[in-house]
Amino acid sequence: MPRIVREASVSWEGTTARGSGVVSAATSGAFELPFTLASRVGDPEGKTSPEELVAAAHASCYVTSLGTELARAGTPPDRMAVRCVITMDQIESGDHRIVASHIEATAIAPGADADAVARAAEVADAGCPISALIRASAEVTVEARLEGGE
Amino acid sequence: MAAERTARVTWSGSLLEGGGRIEEVGSGAFGPLDVTWASRTEESGGRTSPEELIAAAHAACFSMAFSSGLAKAGSPPERLDVSARVTFVPGEGITQSALTVRATVPGIDEAAFVELAEAAKEACPVSKALAGGPEITLDASLA
Repeated sequence: MPRIVREASVSWEGTTARGSGVVSAATSGAFELPFTLASRVGDPEGKTSPEELVAAAHASCYVTSLGTELARAGTPPDRMAVRCVITMDQIESGDHRIVASHIEATAIAPGADADAVARAAEVADAGCPISALIRASAEVTVEARLEGGE
Repeated sequence: MAAERTARVTWSGSLLEGGGRIEEVGSGAFGPLDVTWASRTEESGGRTSPEELIAAAHAACFSMAFSSGLAKAGSPPERLDVSARVTFVPGEGITQSALTVRATVPGIDEAAFVELAEAAKEACPVSKALAGGPEITLDASLA
């Protein structure tokens, strides 16, 4: 299998409390986004954060795994939507940790029933490399339902 | 207090011929951004991928943890330039995240600088979230 490398870069100026950074998609050039401590733990005020980027990574990884599993079951989806919520919390030591990632998925998949979607959702979770990573240190939960199904 | 951050993605059609879109994120900072299997595993063609987003998360997280550590040690940085290179092997997963930092930090010696960089690599929440998987490497030097 090929090794695929993706790179991002950050420039940060000043201290954590008063400084600010810009995070850029170095491989694709698809984004260049400011971030600050306040936007990470408080009101985002239109700025992203590491945890929001993880949410986007997990949702976009999971959606491909779910599509793969539904196709493998003989019911390829016409359309899927996945929402991911990443929760960061302060743990006892005072450090911040990503404690949970919650995935909500819906699929329009002709011929699939609710059980088939639930099974595919579970296998997709096991197969998504980002689910596997996050699960090693945090709770990963998945809710999936068939759209237009019973 | 817990902070929640969200993203919503849609996908239409098959894995190889169809395509996805990061429609929006909770902050409104970005989206829509297209993603496809080809742009994930071959040339990016200007499209992002889950692995590039993990690289962005890791670089951003490390830069904040490191600036915090430097400031606590009495030597706040003027500037940090950080990159994260994430390696993905389909079928195997994410195998490495390689962090590189070049920094302008007045009044610090190289040994203390490297020690604080290592501590930030260990402590940042995204490093902790990746701890079950890829090898995390660090190349830190003063500009």
